Amino acid sequence: MRVALADDSLLLREGLSRLLVEVGFDVVGLAADADSLLELVERTRPEVAIIDIRMPPTYTDEGLRAAKVIRQRWPAIGLLVLSQHVNARYAIELLSAGTDGIGYMLKERVSDLDELASSVTRVGHGGSVLDQAVVGELVGRRRQADNPLEHLTDREREVLALIAEGRSNRAIAERLFVTDHTVEKHVKNIFGTLCLPQSPDDHRRVLAVITYLNSQ
Amino acid sequence: MKAKLSVIAGAGVPAGAGAAWLAAHQPPGRPTEPGALLTLLVGVSLLASGLASWRARPENRIGQVMVFTGFAWFAAQLTEASAPWLNTIGLAVQSVWILGLVYLLLSFPSGRLQGRLDRALVMIGLIAGVGLELLAMLYGNKAGLHCPGCANNVLQVVHDNRKARGWINLQHLVAIPLLVTVVVLLVQRWLGASAAQRRAVAPVLVAGCATLAALTSTVVLDLFGDPLGALPANVYFTLMATVPVAVLFVFLQRQLARGMVAGLVVELGEPSASRDLREALARALGDPSLELAFWFPPENRYVDGDGTPVKLPDDDSGRRSTFVERDGQPIAVLLHDPVLEHNAGLVQSVCAAASLALENERLQAELRARLFELQASRARLVDATDAERRRIERDLHDGTQQRLVSIAMSLGLLETKLPEQAQAARPLVRETREALALALAELRELTHGINPPLLTERGLPAALDELCRRAGLPTHLDLALDRRLPDQIESAAYFMASEALTNAAKHSHGSEVRVSVSFAGHSLTLEVADDGIGGAATTSGSGLRGLADRIEALGGRFTVSSPPGRGTTLRAEIPCA
Repeated sequence: MRVALADDSLLLREGLSRLLVEVGFDVVGLAADADSLLELVERTRPEVAIIDIRMPPTYTDEGLRAAKVIRQRWPAIGLLVLSQHVNARYAIELLSAGTDGIGYMLKERVSDLDELASSVTRVGHGGSVLDQAVVGELVGRRRQADNPLEHLTDREREVLALIAEGRSNRAIAERLFVTDHTVEKHVKNIFGTLCLPQSPDDHRRVLAVITYLNSQ
Repeated sequence: MKAKLSVIAGAGVPAGAGAAWLAAHQPPGRPTEPGALLTLLVGVSLLASGLASWRARPENRIGQVMVFTGFAWFAAQLTEASAPWLNTIGLAVQSVWILGLVYLLLSFPSGRLQGRLDRALVMIGLIAGVGLELLAMLYGNKAGLHCPGCANNVLQVVHDNRKARGWINLQHLVAIPLLVTVVVLLVQRWLGASAAQRRAVAPVLVAGCATLAALTSTVVLDLFGDPLGALPANVYFTLMATVPVAVLFVFLQRQLARGMVAGLVVELGEPSASRDLREALARALGDPSLELAFWFPPENRYVDGDGTPVKLPDDDSGRRSTFVERDGQPIAVLLHDPVLEHNAGLVQSVCAAASLALENERLQAELRARLFELQASRARLVDATDAERRRIERDLHDGTQQRLVSIAMSLGLLETKLPEQAQAARPLVRETREALALALAELRELTHGINPPLLTERGLPAALDELCRRAGLPTHLDLALDRRLPDQIESAAYFMASEALTNAAKHSHGSEVRVSVSFAGHSLTLEVADDGIGGAATTSGSGLRGLADRIEALGGRFTVSSPPGRGTTLRAEIPCA
């Protein structure tokens, strides 16, 4: 899979590039800021762009804005945004325009090579990734006592979080050491309790869940 | 002093009686004389006002000048006497009182002539009024001296009425421009005077100028043989009588001003006085342009009520300063109109009466100046703290966090490279990597607490929204703010909300929190209210005290309402310039 990478820190840029190569990705180019990233993407047309949120010149959300530009110009390119902070607002902003091929991940997660490889691959195949820390925050928010989320079992909440992270039923089943069938039952229950429309599509249900979590 | 004035007053009685008798028994053929009533009116007015002024202001020569002019006026009535010697004396001195009047007007209100021109005018007047008259009297008699009904002139040496008339006409020709010059000079001084000066001299100048104008017209008419008869002369005599009254009026007005010092003392005793101290002093001194400045010891200079430095006037700036001291220490300075210099006694008594109030006002001005400085330094401290927070957060982000992530990546790489036989090391590497992940998570929380990136990047509304979502208790956010505010205000509001939400979750035992933010009238209002047990206190050392300090340093107000059992409400109002 062909990957472009943008991070203003040389240390992380080179390190991450080595890791990606190590796990079998084809790194087509590196960029230190948003402008050179756009130029790089224009030139190489990668399958996935991995982008640090905070880059020069203002060190705020350049990466986020660059991601939006890429999505607009080249909708087929998968986007994985890296952040040093758990910022649910940015994550939701990013995913709310459509979760296909979009990911938001904490930077420190990249040291787990399996996690890195699966996230890049998922985004590259049109799936979505939402960092567990962000999902944890969304699910863990204090709510009014009569909130429907309070009626879910612990196991169901666990499944809900994994759905929000962008995982498929199969991946969830593997993670929880249960059968696909059990997962399907949990999902049905969850969507029923929260009154969400059932969707056969793994990708689309992420948006529904996140939107639900964020609105409560 | 009193005896001297009594003697002069005593001398005035026979002089006035004599002059009135002479005027009443005026021989025919002297159409321009004033008659008994006007004679008495003008003379008594001059003498009485002169004596009163002399007594009220002994250091001022004006009173003496008026008394002298009064006697000169009576002496001029000797022209009506039938005895030749008396008549001759009357003719010789008949213009002296006019000179007195000119001197009076030119030197008012100080009693001193102001320069060469003044002195030259009086000197020319003396030469024309007395010198030319005596010269004419050496030649002429009766009609030759414009006085057909007069007794014989005993000074006559040569019988030449034509020459005498020539000298008299020359006298009139000199008198006309002289009097006009005096009037112009007085009008000029009036136009160049300040409001306070005008008020001080107005009655005298108006009466004086009118009199001189009327006098000029009679002299002009005299040259043409009096076509209008006695009318203009009577007008001018009547006007003349008003001049001394005007002088007395002005002087008594100043006496009244002194009486106002007592009123000032009473007024300053009122609690609201300090606010209107300047007005009270301006009223007492009769100078609406009065300004006050207070001594500010830390900077060794005078400042106004707001603490702004005040420059003292130069000598030629048209302003004067009077310094007020108390126990040898400077307190204040009064910047006023130069006219008050003529009434130094009044200024001194007003300053003395007001010195306590002035010292009080000075202390308040000093306090305000210090408070202003203190406020500025507190705001600078908050700014510096905010900047430091941002710098630390940036340093951690760019340095420590990046390096730790990089180490974690190396470990990840190492894990995959371990040869089969080193499988035993694999759990250790994983453990290290996880410890590192934990350290990174803690560091993340720490940097977020130091300076939340969302606050810097997206502003207060977004940061508060996020904060409320992360709060330990269900939190409702009521947000009416659609703009970015200055960094230090956004920070202060954010950290107040953050501290309040933490407190609510930890101590309130409540079930929910309501955060409301609004911006109106250039001020940000933030309120955090829980429904817990209340009883929070802003004692020193508590987080609330720190919040209050921070809000107040920005010129804001911080209040805590926490009645037992009825929840805690923190409220901050921060002004935005």
